[in-house]
Amino acid sequence: MIFESRTRKTAAPALRRVRTAPALRPLQHRLDPSAVEEIELRAGDGVRLGLTRIGGDSGGDRPAVLLLHGHTASADMFLLPETRNLVDVLLDEGCEPWLLDWRGSCRLPYNATGARYTYDDVALYDIPAAVARIRERIGDRPLFVVAHCIGSLCLSLSLTAGLVPGLAGVVSQGVFLTPKLAGRTSLRMSLAGELLRSRIDHIPVDFRSVGLWSKYTPLFALASRKAGCPDPTCRILHHSAWGTGASLFVHEHLSETTHGRLADLLGPAPLWILPHLRRIELARTVVRWHDTDHRYRALPPNALDAAGRIDTPVLLISGSENGLWLDSQKLCHQVLARRQPQLDVRYTEIPGYGHLDTFLGRGAALDVYGHILEFLGEHR
Amino acid sequence: MREVNQDTVAEAEAIERGGGPLDVPGLLAKVSERRRTQPGDAAGPAPGGGAGGAVAGASPTEPESHESRTGPENPASRTEAEGTGHGRPAARDVHALAAAVSAVAGRFLPGGELAVDADFFDAGGSSVDAVEFAAALEEELGIALDLDEVFADARPISLARRVPHAPPPSGSATREAAPPVPVPPAPVPPAPQGTAVTTATPAAVTSAGPATARPEDLEQILADLALADRLPFVADPEPLPPRRILLTGATGFLGGHLLLDLLRHSDAHVYCLVRAEDEDAALTRLGEALKSYRLPWSSEVRRRITVLPGDLRRPHLGLTDETWARLARELDSIVGVAAAVDFLRGYQSLRGSNVLGPLTLAELAATGRPKPLHHISSIAVFNEVGIASMGEDDPLAHIDRLVSGYDQSKWAAEVALRRARDHGLIVTALRPGGIGGHTRTGAYNPQDLSSGLISAFGRFRTVPAFRYLNAAPVDWVSRVAAAVVCEPDAWGFDYNLTGVPSTLDDVVRDMALGGMHVRVQDWDEWRTGTLARLEAEPVPGLAFLTRVLRSPTALKLCEATLRGPAAEMERTAALVEALGLPPARRYDARAQLKTFEKLAEDGLGRLPARDDPPYLWFSETTEGTVGPVGAPADVPCSMALTLSIASMHQLVSERRVDVRGTLTCPALHTEPLTVERGDVWVRPEEGIPQRHGMKHPLLRYRLELVDASGGRWWLEGRKHARARRDLWRQTRALTVEIGPAGEPATLAGEVVVPADSYVRDQIDGIEVDPRLTGREKRAAKLTWLAWFGLEMGRGLIGPFARAAADLLDLRRTTTLTERHR
Repeated sequence: MIFESRTRKTAAPALRRVRTAPALRPLQHRLDPSAVEEIELRAGDGVRLGLTRIGGDSGGDRPAVLLLHGHTASADMFLLPETRNLVDVLLDEGCEPWLLDWRGSCRLPYNATGARYTYDDVALYDIPAAVARIRERIGDRPLFVVAHCIGSLCLSLSLTAGLVPGLAGVVSQGVFLTPKLAGRTSLRMSLAGELLRSRIDHIPVDFRSVGLWSKYTPLFALASRKAGCPDPTCRILHHSAWGTGASLFVHEHLSETTHGRLADLLGPAPLWILPHLRRIELARTVVRWHDTDHRYRALPPNALDAAGRIDTPVLLISGSENGLWLDSQKLCHQVLARRQPQLDVRYTEIPGYGHLDTFLGRGAALDVYGHILEFLGEHR
Repeated sequence: MREVNQDTVAEAEAIERGGGPLDVPGLLAKVSERRRTQPGDAAGPAPGGGAGGAVAGASPTEPESHESRTGPENPASRTEAEGTGHGRPAARDVHALAAAVSAVAGRFLPGGELAVDADFFDAGGSSVDAVEFAAALEEELGIALDLDEVFADARPISLARRVPHAPPPSGSATREAAPPVPVPPAPVPPAPQGTAVTTATPAAVTSAGPATARPEDLEQILADLALADRLPFVADPEPLPPRRILLTGATGFLGGHLLLDLLRHSDAHVYCLVRAEDEDAALTRLGEALKSYRLPWSSEVRRRITVLPGDLRRPHLGLTDETWARLARELDSIVGVAAAVDFLRGYQSLRGSNVLGPLTLAELAATGRPKPLHHISSIAVFNEVGIASMGEDDPLAHIDRLVSGYDQSKWAAEVALRRARDHGLIVTALRPGGIGGHTRTGAYNPQDLSSGLISAFGRFRTVPAFRYLNAAPVDWVSRVAAAVVCEPDAWGFDYNLTGVPSTLDDVVRDMALGGMHVRVQDWDEWRTGTLARLEAEPVPGLAFLTRVLRSPTALKLCEATLRGPAAEMERTAALVEALGLPPARRYDARAQLKTFEKLAEDGLGRLPARDDPPYLWFSETTEGTVGPVGAPADVPCSMALTLSIASMHQLVSERRVDVRGTLTCPALHTEPLTVERGDVWVRPEEGIPQRHGMKHPLLRYRLELVDASGGRWWLEGRKHARARRDLWRQTRALTVEIGPAGEPATLAGEVVVPADSYVRDQIDGIEVDPRLTGREKRAAKLTWLAWFGLEMGRGLIGPFARAAADLLDLRRTTTLTERHR
């Protein structure tokens, strides 16, 4: 009964879009506006994405670094105005940061509305399109990719499909080829997600946008059980990672401003993505969703089996306290070292860090970016 | 002064050559004769207490500086001058002897020379060097000094004065001139230490362990305390989080961690005082130190720090006047972490770093704009045998009952800074207890006594009966210290950063959880036993522990630590709660795990390994058939294996079981083959299938086999979980491949554990290390069964979960009704 949405309106009904296309929410940053260049990008299947180049003149031999956010986050996660962020550090290091908002970005509307997608689409259309567009601009300058969470998972599928050859190096945070979730998280995601799937289509994180009394209220209440922080957005994210019961970040690592902006930084999580995520997680490797749709045959059925196609050095990093993907990266390093010993894969653990705080944390520049810079420096 | 030094060096060289005006025995004779006739004499020129600047900053390594600056008004030098004033005539011989001593000492020092009134340790000598130095003194000059004496005061001049041929009679000049220091009777009955010392340490036979401080040390302490009175009166600093912080001791264990925590939790720029020649060397030294503690060192760290090459022990920190003035003007916080942590050295040797250094920092804090001074003290200020309580505001120990130089120097620094508070200076005293290894990185302080003790506990499987271990992990200590520095309302109080004390029971239980069942021994028994074992097979990293256990003074410190009460930390706990910091947790087995692993990695600790007697084992028999690859399997093959683990740690961290036993297969050899090295991994690689599909590995066997004629073979076997109903068989059936060493497989087949032998061997037949008690054995057995059962359960359920998910995916996709579509 609580799931029956009553007639009470939480927001005015949107106008049917007849002329406008989905638009990107503006980036939030403290850079010189002239140094930020928005580039119009459509994925191979026509979906509007966001691509941003940072840094005024494109001259010199500055290596380009493409930053991929996680699902429901956005390019904003690399541009936090309140801390020393990755873009600042890369600019100081003489790199040219490129930010892609793939279709899972909260700057785009697709998570909450619009057509559904699977991670196959991201790996097949979004990432290769962005890499191709960047290559057009940078010529033969080296191109690195730094990817977080699902962005990194999709990148692994693109890499093993051979869709983005010739990268100078890949830094993957959180999870790469071998996703591993805690049993409890996996159970909640599979069963609770399944129960909710036919009733709601996404889990919001911003209490203010749905109101105090709504069909999401029980979700917020459940996620808040035994949580330390009173902020409902923080509770559903930090304490529960969209209701899965995993911890997304180490609470102490976020500055107060970032903590207050969580609802802007992370958007609603769609539930219709769960079947693909569940299939990936239960197989413990990245697997393709579409078995019969031949448009996706470029993607390998199992990315780990095709890992031999990776043609670039990979640095796997992960917080030692990653509450969502646990020690997936360490596992990935072990598995690749055994099964594909010819690959240049390294693993670095960031002591004391969780999942998201490796990029959002106020001390991330000190504890995390040093490892990324060292890797870029070695391979540029 | 420089010339004088060179003269004495020349003289010493002449003596060494034997061609000088006097040879060493002659000198010795002369000195002792003079001593006998002139009981008042025990002196050379005043060694200099400290001057320079407004306050202090004695620098034993730079005699010229205080020779020129020592003013008559300086209380420290005055006492010494008075004490030594009327011994001038004899000074020359003592001086010559001192010159000989310093020439010997020079050989053990990086600089190659040592001024007669400079401290051996301050000049860069290590404890090992000191031991060798003392041996050389005895061998070459015939001066047999007790090792403890050398450590107590290692200035050549002072060593020369203490030549044991003629011990100065009581009531010497020093004693007379000293302020009246009542020497109370020993607070505790002379511990049964004496006997143990005799049995275990020939070096310490002569002394049964001092019970009170040496009078000359007390005298020096009082003089040093008076230096605080010279500070100016200061206004309150602005109550704002600091923007520019001076940090000393950043190359140390706590200092390094504190540096990073200050950077992480504030926006401040940190100036690090580092002992080095120039800025490059200082930067390199700091980087090396941070990396050795597994702390980040990148351009991002470097852009927020400035290194200042200098020396805490020197006036104005060894900085130029310009830098000093700039710092006095610009800094808005000073954090003093640097200290010489050595439990063997005496007060004289430690005061430069531990007392005069903090006083110089206080001077800097009081100069220019007022700034708070945050001083890392130590719980050692309570380290008196028999003290009743160690709360934050409880009375400190009685200084005359602190015998170890380290305890004395930390006490003196804290008390001197308390006096500074009366001048208006905001002084925070942060007192850590034992600082344990980092809970995440495992970085530990190799020179820390608690690391040494913990590694000895693990290594020898014995612990001495102590009351409480007041230890907290370095990450917590440094986090709280950083929070105090950044929170103006927290400034100016005393904090115990001791964490939650562990009792003996806690520690014993923790170690048992880690598979290390320790036995508790009486302190003397433990010390004797440990010392005997350390001597029988020396561990390089634990050499300092051996020296500590041999030194009567350091033993006093250990004794006080082990018998002390639990430290309390009400104010710290309130602060932690108010600021939302991670609350203190007991430094338990889980928190220590990483440190244990790193200790083992560095050879200091020892984790149980394959060659040790196993912790738990059981047998497994398998029967089946193999055949050439691709052909039907028709050759019988059986294995009789013993599966064992050396510790639970091995299971949890490596998920690996050791295998021994034999394999019988006529296709390989008529005789049974022996397993030379064998491993079984439980749910290898988290059960990720080898190839895309539903076959999730449960167990992986890898055996290296040797046949009776010396031929070598390998065997690779796997048990798989599948979404099929023959679960019982899945747990028993092993698909194997066998091949000659270094070549591909020649045989393949399947062997199965017979159903009737499974329970008999692998559950009822579990054996546990006979040295454990019955209760420990049952616990070990149950832990193994629970762990293995859970792992198997998880492994078997995996394929079924995938099958179930496939079913769920068949559900009809609902048409969504959400408003925002």
